[in-house]
Amino acid sequence: MTQKIHPALIGFTVVVFFFLVGPLIIVVGSALSDTTYLTFPPQGLSLRWFANIFEISAFRRTILTSLQIAFLSTFIALLLGIPAAYALNRYRIQLPGWLATLFVLPVLVPELVLGFSLLKNVAVQFNTPIFLTLVFGHSLLVLPYVVRVISASLASFDFSIEEAAISLGSPPLRTFFTILLPNVRSGVIAAFILAFITSINDVSISIFLTGPGISTLPIQLLAHMEQFFDPTVASVSVLLMALTVGVMAIVERTLGLTFLAK
Amino acid sequence: MTKALSIQSITAHYGTTKVLEDLSLEVGEGELVSLLGASGCGKTTTLRLVAGFLQPTSGRIALGGIDLTRLPPYKRDIGLVFQNYALFPHLSVADNVGFGLKQRGVAGAEKSQRVQAMLERVGLAHLATRLPGELSGGQKQRVALARALVIEPPLLMFDEPLSNLDAKLRVDMRVEIRQLQRANGTTSVYVTHDQEEAFSISDRVAIMHAGRIMQLDTPETLYQRPANAFVARFVGFENLIPMRVVERDGAKITAEAAGGVRLTLGLEQFGAIPDSFTLACRADGLAATADAAREGIPANLGLRTYLGRAYQYQCDTAAGPLVANGPLTRPLEMGGHAKLVPVPEQCTILAPEVAA
Amino acid sequence: MKRFSGWTLASPATLLVVVFLVLPVVATIITTFGTAGGPLAPYLGFFGSGFRRTVLWRTVQVSFIVTAIAVIIGFITAFVISRSPGWLKSILIIAAVFPLLTGVVVRSFAWLIILGKNGILNSVLLSAGLIGEPLTMLYTQGAVIVAMVYLFVPLMILTLVGVLEGIPQDLIQASASLGAKPSATFTQVILPLAVPGLIVGAVLVFTGSFTSYATPQLLGGEQVMMMGTLMYQQAMVTFDWVAASTIAAVMVVITIAIVLAMTRIARRLNPMAV
Repeated sequence: MTQKIHPALIGFTVVVFFFLVGPLIIVVGSALSDTTYLTFPPQGLSLRWFANIFEISAFRRTILTSLQIAFLSTFIALLLGIPAAYALNRYRIQLPGWLATLFVLPVLVPELVLGFSLLKNVAVQFNTPIFLTLVFGHSLLVLPYVVRVISASLASFDFSIEEAAISLGSPPLRTFFTILLPNVRSGVIAAFILAFITSINDVSISIFLTGPGISTLPIQLLAHMEQFFDPTVASVSVLLMALTVGVMAIVERTLGLTFLAK
Repeated sequence: MTKALSIQSITAHYGTTKVLEDLSLEVGEGELVSLLGASGCGKTTTLRLVAGFLQPTSGRIALGGIDLTRLPPYKRDIGLVFQNYALFPHLSVADNVGFGLKQRGVAGAEKSQRVQAMLERVGLAHLATRLPGELSGGQKQRVALARALVIEPPLLMFDEPLSNLDAKLRVDMRVEIRQLQRANGTTSVYVTHDQEEAFSISDRVAIMHAGRIMQLDTPETLYQRPANAFVARFVGFENLIPMRVVERDGAKITAEAAGGVRLTLGLEQFGAIPDSFTLACRADGLAATADAAREGIPANLGLRTYLGRAYQYQCDTAAGPLVANGPLTRPLEMGGHAKLVPVPEQCTILAPEVAA
Repeated sequence: MKRFSGWTLASPATLLVVVFLVLPVVATIITTFGTAGGPLAPYLGFFGSGFRRTVLWRTVQVSFIVTAIAVIIGFITAFVISRSPGWLKSILIIAAVFPLLTGVVVRSFAWLIILGKNGILNSVLLSAGLIGEPLTMLYTQGAVIVAMVYLFVPLMILTLVGVLEGIPQDLIQASASLGAKPSATFTQVILPLAVPGLIVGAVLVFTGSFTSYATPQLLGGEQVMMMGTLMYQQAMVTFDWVAASTIAAVMVVITIAIVLAMTRIARRLNPMAV
C-alpha cells in the first residue's frame, strides 16, 4: 500500500540514510588512500594497505583464529540449537516455560559480564584452554539466534507431515533429516549466517579471553588502532564489509531479501 | 439521509492486469444490492473503488448525484463493515463505536448517548467497556456493524461480513443485518460469495464474473430465469442442452438436440422460443422414469446417489452426460435404461449468446 | 519422533547455557558478597566512590539520550519505509541491514575518521571557514552518543518496520472509512498500536548502550569512561576482580530489571496479544 507521505518526512529519511551509509563509504575511501595516515577523500589510489594486512603476522593469525572460532561456534550452536528449538516447538507442553527464557539469557546477560565470568570462573578457575573457552563463549553468544530463527521457521511447520512420514514407515531419525530439515532449510541458512556474522564481529566476550598468543580479528583491530593511525584498519574493515556483502548475496539468492526484514 | 449510488463505466487495473471492465451499477435509495461471485470476480475491487481505497482507471462513482471519484476515503462518508471486522484492538467497544463520531466532532454527552443507543440496538450495551480481543466472533461483528451504522452514513457497504462466523450464527446475523438496514432505510452494497446469503438478504443481486456483471436482477428472477449459461450454471442448472427448433405447431414446438433427441415444448410455459436455444434444467427438472412410452431423452443410467428427497442419477445420453432425479418410491437400477422427461416448471430457455 | 522426549533434545543446549553462562555469571555475582570487608563492602565501595557514581550516571545519561534519538529517528524512518513501494522498500531495508551486519569495531572506526582532529568533519568546517582551528570532537560524550546512535538506529528501524507492517491495513482503512484524516489515523490508530513494539526496540537500544564496550573505548577513551570500559579497566588493567565483579553485578541487575519491567509494560499495552 503506497500512500502519500509528507515531503518533509521523505527528506528526513534521505538524511538518515546518508547518515547510515556515508560513514561506511568514508571507510572504503580511506582504505584506498596512498598515504601513510588515514584521510578522506583518499589521496592517490592504492591497494597497498590491503597487501599490508597480510604482511602483519598478527592480522594473518587473528583472521584465521576468528574464522575457526566462527565456524566451530556456529556449528556447535546449530548442533545444539536445532534440537532445542524442535523440542521447544514440538513438546511445548512437556517442557517447563522457563526453558525458552533460558535460551534467551545469552542476549539478556550483558556480553561483557559473560566474557569476564568465563575468564574468571572457567578459564582461570579450571585452567581450560583459552581457544576452547572462546569457542564455547561464542557458541553461547549465537545460540539465541539459532533457537529463535529455527523456532520461527518451525512455527509454520505442520508437524502432521512428520507423522505422515512416520506412518508411511520412515524411522524417526531419517524423518528428521528427510522431512523436517528440508522444510526448515531457509531457517538453518539464516541461523548459520546470523550466527557466523555475530561471532566474527564479537568484541565484548573476546576482549576478556584474548591475550598473548591468542586473539581475534576485532580485538586485533582495536589494538592496532591504539598504536597506528594508518589505513590498515580501514582495509580490514573493507574486507569485513565485503564478507557482509557476500553473506547478503547468499541470503538474497537463497531466501530473498525480504527475509532480512523479518 | 440515504442516497443512491451510481457507478458509471468503471474500469480498474491492478498493475497491468485489468480487474474490472466497463462496469456500471445503479443502487437505488434504500436498496440493498449484493455483488455475488467467486473470488477474483471483481466484487471486492468494486467495493474498494467505491470506498476510495483504489482508484479507477476510468469511469465515475457518484453518491446522491455528487461525484466521489477523486475524493480521499476519509471524506466519502461511507459506512464499511469488514470481513475480519477490523476493530481497533486498543479501543474499547464503546470507543470503537464512537470513533467515527469523534472524527465528526461529536463529543461529550451526545457522543456517549448515540454510542449507547447504538450498542443497545445491537444488543451489546453490557459489553461497552470490553476490548475487542475479549469478544466472540458474533459480538465483534455486531460492534463492526454498530460502528458503521452510528455515523448514519448515506451508504453502507459490507465486505463478506459473515464469512468468519459459523453456519448457525451466519443465518441469524444476516437476518439482523437486513432488519437494521431496512429500519434505517440505508442504501447498501453487500459483497459475498455465498449464494444463499445474497439471495436471502438482497433486493437485487449482481452476479459477477471476470470483472463484469453477468446479470443484475431480483433473486427470484435470477433463480428462475437466468439470462445466460454462466448465471444458469451458477444458480444450479446442471443440465444445459443446446437445441434447434425443427417444427412449430401453434402453442407447441418440437426441438432437436444432438444425437437426434426430440422434445416437444409448450410456448405457454416458456414464452417465445428462438429457433436455436439452450434448454436449461436443474436435476429436479429432468425426471428419470422407467416408462419407455413417455416422451423424453433416452438415457443409460450410471451412478445412483441418495439425496434424501429423491434419488439422483448420472446419465449417459445421445445429447451428452446429464443429471436427473427420480422418485424415492421407485428406485431405478444402475446400468438400466430410462427416459428423462423435462419438468417445465424447473426448466428455462436460454437465448443464444452473442460471443463475448 | 516419539522415541526422543523433549528433554533429551533440549538438554545439550540447556547444559551449555547452565555450565558456561548461568554458573559462571552467578559465581561472579556471589563472590561480591563474600569479601573480607563484609557482605556489602564492594557495593559500598562502588557507590561510595564519586568517580564510579559519575561513570554510572554518565552511562545512564548517554544510554537514555541515545535511546531517545534512536526512537525518534527510527520511528520516522520506519514509517516512511513501511509506506514505500515494494522496490524502494527492499533497497531501504538492505541499506539498514548492511550496517547492522557490519561489526561494531568497523562502525565505530568510521567515526574515528570523521571526528578526529585531522578528520573529515574538521577539514570540511575549516575549509568552509566556519572554524578557525580544529575542534576537539573525539573523546567527548557527544562523539560517543553520535557513534552509538549510528550503531543502534538500524536496529530500531528494522524493529519498527516489522511493527508497522504488522498493523493490519484493514484497521487503517476502517479508520479512513469512519472519516479519520490521515493525521488522526496516525495519532489514534497507528501510534497506539506501535507503542508496544517501540518499547521493545527502546529496551534493546538502552541495554545495548548501557553495556557497550567498543564504542566508548574508541570514541570516549579515558575521558568518557562508561560502565563497560570501567569494568574492563578494573578487570584487565588494575586486576581488581572484586571491583570488576561488582560492576558486572550492577550491570546485570540494571539490564534485567529494565528488560523485565519494560516487557511487562509492553505486554500490558499490547491489545493484539489479548
